[in-house]
Amino acid sequence: MIWPFITRSLGIATILLLAAIGELLDERAGVLNVGIEGLMLFGGAAGFLAALKWGLLAGFIVGTIVGGAFGLLHAVLSITLKVNQVVSGMGIWLFAMGFVTYWADRYSGPLPMGMVSPSIHGLSPMFFIALAILFAIWFILSRTHLGLKIRSVGEDPSTAEVSGVNVVKIRYLCTTIGGLLGGLAGAFLTLTYLACWSHLPTMGLGWVALALVQFSIWRPPILLAGALLFGFIWQFAISPETIYAGIPAPLPVLRMLPFAVTIIFLTVISSERFRKKWALAKPAALGQPYIKE
Amino acid sequence: MIGLRFPKLKCERIVILTGADAVKISALSVVISFMLFGAFVAFEGTDPLVAYEHIFSFAFDPKLGLPITLHRGFFLVFNTLAFIIPMAAGIWNIGMEGQFYLGTIGAFAVAYSFPDLNQAILIPLMLISGAIFGAAYGALAGFLKGKMNVNEVVVTIMLNNIAFWLVYLLTVGGPWAGIAESTSKPLPKNACAPMVWNTPFTSIFVIVVAILVYFFLKKTTIGYQIRTLGSNPIVAKHVGISAPKISVIVMAIGGAIAGLSGYHMWAGDPAFLMIPRPEAYKAIGDLTYWGIILGLICLLNPLTSVPASIFIGSIIVGTTVLVRRLRMPFGLDVLFLGIISLVFAAFQFFHQYRIRRVKVVIGK
Repeated sequence: MIWPFITRSLGIATILLLAAIGELLDERAGVLNVGIEGLMLFGGAAGFLAALKWGLLAGFIVGTIVGGAFGLLHAVLSITLKVNQVVSGMGIWLFAMGFVTYWADRYSGPLPMGMVSPSIHGLSPMFFIALAILFAIWFILSRTHLGLKIRSVGEDPSTAEVSGVNVVKIRYLCTTIGGLLGGLAGAFLTLTYLACWSHLPTMGLGWVALALVQFSIWRPPILLAGALLFGFIWQFAISPETIYAGIPAPLPVLRMLPFAVTIIFLTVISSERFRKKWALAKPAALGQPYIKE
Repeated sequence: MIGLRFPKLKCERIVILTGADAVKISALSVVISFMLFGAFVAFEGTDPLVAYEHIFSFAFDPKLGLPITLHRGFFLVFNTLAFIIPMAAGIWNIGMEGQFYLGTIGAFAVAYSFPDLNQAILIPLMLISGAIFGAAYGALAGFLKGKMNVNEVVVTIMLNNIAFWLVYLLTVGGPWAGIAESTSKPLPKNACAPMVWNTPFTSIFVIVVAILVYFFLKKTTIGYQIRTLGSNPIVAKHVGISAPKISVIVMAIGGAIAGLSGYHMWAGDPAFLMIPRPEAYKAIGDLTYWGIILGLICLLNPLTSVPASIFIGSIIVGTTVLVRRLRMPFGLDVLFLGIISLVFAAFQFFHQYRIRRVKVVIGK
């Protein structure tokens, strides 16, 4: 009874983890991408349509690549064209909402029979892949030379440039990888967690992932804890009866829970007590285009 | 000596963007969006020119689409204004959807509690209550932004989702549930908006609001403070403008205007007069995101937002024809929203740089 609930909440945690770790990498390099929800929608739609045509594995690959393509687009807009990063991210998100509705809604419905993602007693191996990616990104960021370059680009791009780091290249790399991971998160959502396409299936998960990055204080281990917690809350909101049969609150109230908790967390992390630490951890050049003098 | 001349493209940084240039850039991005949308229409096997003719002939035909075009267009004006005021202070209000839902709740709560009131009292009460609900919801995000420095983009999106479920809670099996499944009870007769020139009176009302907002931002002290904060927060701090206060004020005003659209939407269209199924009210809620794009394209000018919104309203209404008459797939109108927002984002480049051809002469 409780095991399916755990695997389902780990499923949500996987989605949040994949999307958020990509965003964390972006933000560490100083690029804010508020369009993760859009990346996930594109990854999910492309993955679903590709799976209908060529099978599950192709679905995951295509979803990831399409997500990466839109990560790259965000990079072109915000790094090369120096568009305001919020405008660009919003543009991608709104484009995704429109395009995906037009493109995938006519194929709404479940995946065909027999197209079942591999699982270990109901738990998708993607969870472990996500953990591995998280560990890899944590290792790269904090233990390698490349990680130092990425962090320096996010903190002070002009100094980094003077010390011989190619700011534009690093930012492109990080934003594209962030896009790939966002696309993978979306593909996992439609192909494994939901196993269907319905109108705008992300339901705000991408935004929760964006908030997760902010209150992880840009640290992968805290991000993991946050993703697990929110996976639990999200799944609890969907099916509370598996935890406690006599739950008194009507369902819609619970569906508000993840969003309300996000606001509360964000407020706590911004409070006086944490603000200093938070302000120090925040990549100093976050959201600012780099203009070479 | 023979000089070798060839043109070269040079990227120049623009220090001050003139208004005329900005208008040109916005207009150009709309034209490009139309061309791209035309490409999609052509891809679906319809001549874009025929499609556009169908769109606009339907949307502006007084017997067919014009009333709905005006209704949806003025709905967008509310939401564009709700975006413009906070944006003038540099705050991203993405929460028009939630504020619109809260405004809906506020207006309907009054109508259901006092169904027998005189129309002349009931309607203003509904409007005021909707505005207060929307303002409170906006002010909450403004307070978190100003006082606690919480990112307003994330907070307003979260509040949108919460508001969606709040309406769901009230209508689907809740206290307001109607006889038909998943919709609310119909509004009492005297709550319906009186029509002026075939459009609800709130349409005229919002034009007045737009003019007021224009003067508010341009001519009042507080409007000046808002614009100072938006253009340079550091200067604002030094001259003693309280950023927390301003952020609560702008979000409250924005929320109030978005809240008013709740009454306009459901009581102004004879086809509704109630809150429809969740998918249907969510689809209307998604329209509020046009406010972001319209506000940015109009360069935060409340007056130009009126014709621009009507124009977009005509596309929203007109594209439904493509589905019905030309059997094109559903979702083309939201696709157009997407295209225009992406193109506009890309065209922000020209707000900072201009590309100029310079003649380079080598060998002299």
